[in-house]
Amino acid sequence: MRSLSLNTRRKLAAHLFVAAVLIIWLFAALRLPGYVLPAPLTVLEQIGAFLVSAKLAGHIAASIFHVTAALVLAFVVGTTLAVAGHYVPITRVLIGRLAAFLNSFSSIGWALLAILWFGLNDASVIFVIGIIILPIYMINMQAALDQLDADLIEMTASFTRSWPRAFSLVVLPALYPFMLATTRLAFGIAWKVALTAELFGGNSGFGFLVNIARQDIDTPRIFAVIALMIMIAYLADRFLFAPLERYLTRHYADA
Amino acid sequence: MRDAAVRNALPARLLADAAVIGVIAVWWLGSRNLPAFVLPSPWATGEALLRFFTDVKLMGDIAATGGRVALSVVVATALGIALAMLPFFLPVTRDIVRLRILPFLNAMPSLGWAILAVIWFGVSDVAVIFAQTAILVPFCFINVSQGIEEIDAELLEMARSFTRRRGLTFHKVLIPAVAPYVVAAARLAYGVSWKIALIAELFGSERGLGFVMYQAQTISDPATVIATCLMIVLVFVLGDVLVLRPLYRWVSPQDRNKPLPSL
Repeated sequence: MRSLSLNTRRKLAAHLFVAAVLIIWLFAALRLPGYVLPAPLTVLEQIGAFLVSAKLAGHIAASIFHVTAALVLAFVVGTTLAVAGHYVPITRVLIGRLAAFLNSFSSIGWALLAILWFGLNDASVIFVIGIIILPIYMINMQAALDQLDADLIEMTASFTRSWPRAFSLVVLPALYPFMLATTRLAFGIAWKVALTAELFGGNSGFGFLVNIARQDIDTPRIFAVIALMIMIAYLADRFLFAPLERYLTRHYADA
Repeated sequence: MRDAAVRNALPARLLADAAVIGVIAVWWLGSRNLPAFVLPSPWATGEALLRFFTDVKLMGDIAATGGRVALSVVVATALGIALAMLPFFLPVTRDIVRLRILPFLNAMPSLGWAILAVIWFGVSDVAVIFAQTAILVPFCFINVSQGIEEIDAELLEMARSFTRRRGLTFHKVLIPAVAPYVVAAARLAYGVSWKIALIAELFGSERGLGFVMYQAQTISDPATVIATCLMIVLVFVLGDVLVLRPLYRWVSPQDRNKPLPSL
């Protein structure tokens, strides 16, 4: 054991930890009723059901659709507001106040209001997710605009007087890495919030499934949904956002 | 830019205040044309908000939610410290904490905890506090471990050269160095906690603000839903100003004059 390097021992410890958790889960599940703690294999079977059943796969697609639509909306509105606050200084306090208000408003409050306003449908879900991540875009894009290199802006001003040109050729590309980093953060939150939004205001998606499973005390289904959500979040972060971020940082960060 | 900011400070403030009045005016006009179960008037919402100050039962609900928030913040901060300290004292556990426990806690949806808590603990205070604590732990952990990472290695070395008593080093060097991060972690957890308090309460409780809000929604009473949200913002700000900000200034005297980030 001593001869192994610290890094190897750390990796080994991490794998042993996972194995230990699985074994404890296995034995605990044997002693506890299935609705309290389902066996690992039962949960695995349920996860498999999602991959073969078109209906269940449809709910996965619905959740992905909700989150994507909300991200696009929040991105467009949030970035526009942040840009407005930056270039029209008089609106800055107003927009800051709006962000602070949205940021401190309870997410469940939005969900309950959305049901009253839009009913149980996709619009409700997208509204709730969108308005919860909106302040993240507002605050982060504002910080990004504030951090832009002043020399770069001055240089641009000396080359052109056309604001649209300067904005689209210099400011916007300089913002790309920030936009992606914010989207990565917002995705993590949106993906988790989607469950709440769909449970209260949706008629499709993971949250809808969890709500039915909860009423039927179908704990294996709840475990399976949570496991799938964690897996999808991990895959998206690892194989979509991380490579994109590497690409954008390489191309634009030094601009 | 700075001059412009100073020059624009007063008009910007005026515009922001005017906008608040404008929003209330539009809200009022809108509510006259829309049914009360869609958009209540600002006055009805104000009345619903006032009831929180006169109705003893509603005050009890505030106290119930506030107590759960306080308790779960304390427990989550303690667990966050323990998790962050583990790799510091036992380096081999670093990957367990950072690559296994933390990503899992981070990716777990809060609603998942809330539902599991109700299945495991029934409809009770324990269920709510468990769910909230589980949601808050990663926030506390990240902040505290940042504090531990920033401890100056030379400072520790110097401390060790002065004394061999680990207890004394811990008490005189480690705690003062990490304390500001611990309080910052608690403050962050407190902010998150108020936002998620209601999720846990909707399933796992028969009193508290989440319960009030859910009941209001089922009888289509948006005035109470909005009033409850505003009440939460109010209590949240009060707790921050009266407890956490003074605490932060007390543990980090060097930052006393720095403005605190808003939550």
